[in-house]
Amino acid sequence: MIEQLGNGLLLGIIISVASVALSLLYGVTRIVNFAHGEIIALGAIATLFLSSPVDSRLLFLDRFSPLGNNFYISVIISVIFCGLLGGILEFFLFRPLRKAEVGNIAVLVVTIGLSLFLRHIYMLLNAKPQNFPLELQRRETYLFFDMTPRNFRVLILGIIVMVLIGLFLNYTRIGKAMRAVRDSNDLASVSGINSDNIILFTWISSSMLAGLAGVFQATINDVRYNMGFLILLLIFAGTVLGGIGTSFGAMVGGFIIGIVVNVSVGLPFMEGHTEAKNAVALAIMILILLFRPQGIFGEKERVS
Amino acid sequence: MKFSIKGSLTIFLTIFSIFLVFLLNEDGEIPILFNLLTFAGIYGLAAIGLNVHFGLTGLLNFGHAAFMGFGAYVTVLLIPHAAGREGVVITTGLPFFLALLIGVISAALFGLLLGLPAIRLRGDYLAIVTIAAAEIFRLLVRDLESVTGGVYGIINFSSSLQQYRLGFIDNFASSNDLNPSQVFVAFLSWISIVLVLLLLRRLTNSPWGRALRAVREDEDAVRALGKNAVWLKLQSFMLGAGIAGLSGVLLAFNYGTIQVSTFVPILTFYVWAIMILGGVGSLTGPIFGSIIFWVIIGETNGIAQLIFENANGQQIAGVRFVLVGLLIMILMIFRPSGLMGKKEELLLDVK
Amino acid sequence: MSNKYLEVTNLKKSFGGIKAVDVESLNLNRNELTSIIGPNGAGKTTFFDLISGFQDSDEGKVYLNNKNISKSQPYAIARLGMIRTFQLTKVFDRMTVLENMMFSASTVNNDSFLKSLAKLPSQKTTEKKIRDKSFEIMKELNIDHMANSYAREMSGGQKKLLELGRSIINNPSVLLLDEPLAGVNPKLAEEILQIILNLAGKGISILMVEHNIEAVMKISERVIVLAEGKVIADSTPENIRTDQKVIEAYLGSENE
Repeated sequence: MIEQLGNGLLLGIIISVASVALSLLYGVTRIVNFAHGEIIALGAIATLFLSSPVDSRLLFLDRFSPLGNNFYISVIISVIFCGLLGGILEFFLFRPLRKAEVGNIAVLVVTIGLSLFLRHIYMLLNAKPQNFPLELQRRETYLFFDMTPRNFRVLILGIIVMVLIGLFLNYTRIGKAMRAVRDSNDLASVSGINSDNIILFTWISSSMLAGLAGVFQATINDVRYNMGFLILLLIFAGTVLGGIGTSFGAMVGGFIIGIVVNVSVGLPFMEGHTEAKNAVALAIMILILLFRPQGIFGEKERVS
Repeated sequence: MKFSIKGSLTIFLTIFSIFLVFLLNEDGEIPILFNLLTFAGIYGLAAIGLNVHFGLTGLLNFGHAAFMGFGAYVTVLLIPHAAGREGVVITTGLPFFLALLIGVISAALFGLLLGLPAIRLRGDYLAIVTIAAAEIFRLLVRDLESVTGGVYGIINFSSSLQQYRLGFIDNFASSNDLNPSQVFVAFLSWISIVLVLLLLRRLTNSPWGRALRAVREDEDAVRALGKNAVWLKLQSFMLGAGIAGLSGVLLAFNYGTIQVSTFVPILTFYVWAIMILGGVGSLTGPIFGSIIFWVIIGETNGIAQLIFENANGQQIAGVRFVLVGLLIMILMIFRPSGLMGKKEELLLDVK
Repeated sequence: MSNKYLEVTNLKKSFGGIKAVDVESLNLNRNELTSIIGPNGAGKTTFFDLISGFQDSDEGKVYLNNKNISKSQPYAIARLGMIRTFQLTKVFDRMTVLENMMFSASTVNNDSFLKSLAKLPSQKTTEKKIRDKSFEIMKELNIDHMANSYAREMSGGQKKLLELGRSIINNPSVLLLDEPLAGVNPKLAEEILQIILNLAGKGISILMVEHNIEAVMKISERVIVLAEGKVIADSTPENIRTDQKVIEAYLGSENE
């Protein structure tokens, strides 16, 4: 149980960071981004490519590890790279779609296509699961759970990131503007702020957070082309659980989902069925929608 | 029957793509073409079901593979089969067509079960719930090995269907060097398409179809006039899920086995690509979309060989999925009405 | 039977701490043409949404003919004979005018999936009947020449007429009209007012939200004034004209 709790906290913080990123983007742009998982994967894959030789048949990338000895700088560059991708996507894809007044549903389908496209580009680049070039560590006990020192640092770093997001949204000018756009449901009504810039900024920051979540994810697991897609549904679950569009809700919801996934392994009826652990979290999401469609922290909205 | 420019162009493109099969393959064209047409029939049927959801009613379903899988598993488990690692043989079972009927109805009821929590919600929630439910379905099928065979799948169920195979199919198969079982499945798929389309035409021109279109146009007005929009949407969801179930059964019999890996998200995305290519909201569009789509898929091997030297299976698959993703994006951005859809009838702003 | 068709007690609804509707008690009388007026944001449409089931109230009760409908679904309320229209006209754009009418005239039974699948003769008979009925109403409203056009081809005023026609085809006992004159040219507005008066004459109880004060004063028997969600006046048009509170709350904001 102690081991599961530790794993749960770790997965919880990862899903939390990724859910906040998804939720921010949804709040500001009303886009349900199915390609979110691919941005997450990019964070991990870029880090791997920069820091270690990878197994790739394409473009001679197997001899490519420019920052081989510098893992942390690789991480930072990768996260920036993810932000850049987010900015490019907004600038060249989603902004033109918005200007052409393409509906949200059509944009959602576009993100599905984008997700398929990016994911299999990764697959062509690097097919085999691979680990970060980090040495193995022994688990140690912290308070009432145990994990490796590296994972403990991931946990602490994740919590710090969450606190920073909270401070950012509440106390900076652009953070407040993002919340204003989100809460008003109407970009035009927020006067004195260029909504295009806010959306661009949201895409960049959401993608950087996603990339960071991907790096976290790859430190406890491995790097594979579909790692983002595998975790995407849990992120949706976290976001819906907390209330889609609310940052605080997404934080808490993501955390709960992470813990549920891992702790459910310890439940009596799950004995011998560990593969199905994600199903429990997803089923909880569907049940929540049945009884409280707006999520735990969402504003109530009459739906039928 | 009147032919519009759009319709003529679509038929021309379809014939051209079939011609491409002959152009690009040096030998074995007939078996290759027949294989493509079999898949095109089965996936086309699935896309017709999806079009009932999205095109006719505006419902975002991203769990189509689960409806297909549900129909397939229920049907196959009810007839004689062998499941799991040990290949436990179950020799008794229902006659095929009864099992098929139960399978299709089960898929529709699975749609009802899923629709109940989700269909009252905004469109994007339905997308999330359906894709999540499909994942739950996949995980459960994999986990419940004693029933579903888990990762080992189910085999030896084909004869329940193939015993009904008609003589002319064997003749046709042997004279063209084809696998008679597959010819029979292809035959059934295209018969199913014709029947389902006749059924849908009847329904869309009926008071029920009128009510469904009203729901698509404006749910609030439907409610204000005393009609239960949620129930209408659920009915549409069940109908589309039932059609998906039928196509899932055909898919299973085309492979002759059922694997967990058959009914995965990528299958859903294939069906989406076919529907968009054929035309959202068009009854016959998905048929043409499906044929053209499968010709493209059939040629990805060649495309992969251009990029990689001696491309392996995984690289071919990668190229294929990249193409499907691109196809979905490009169509949705530049031609959301596809080949046969009417732009005015597109409902992309559904709430 | 009592003379009241609608009884509202202590009906409350707020959005993010702002009270949109806060009506302590309101009874509406049968066969009376009543109008609700009030400045923008007074909660008129929210009040309509609450009594027609389109929004949940935070607290309070609504009775329609002594039946508690506070928690009822919109379609269930409509089936009890209270039909509403919308401020932004909601016609089925990509269906013909005739189809719009026939959908409304059709019963749940006639719309049934199985009946449609079987193409029962009884359905054919019903369809014929509601088709005739639709034409009858369309003639009355002078939109029958557009029967086979798509609704989206209609002018704003014609859409208002279609929505009205759709609402009365099943002989409702109560009509809730949300700004029936909004965006309608003066000539057509005059026609619509006459239609509303005729409907009232036929014994339909009408509750109307309308911005056009002159029209309201002309045809209403009773006027209710809402401001910040509360009823601040409730009387005959003559009394409302001279009510000091109304002039302050209403005209004050109009003259800004």
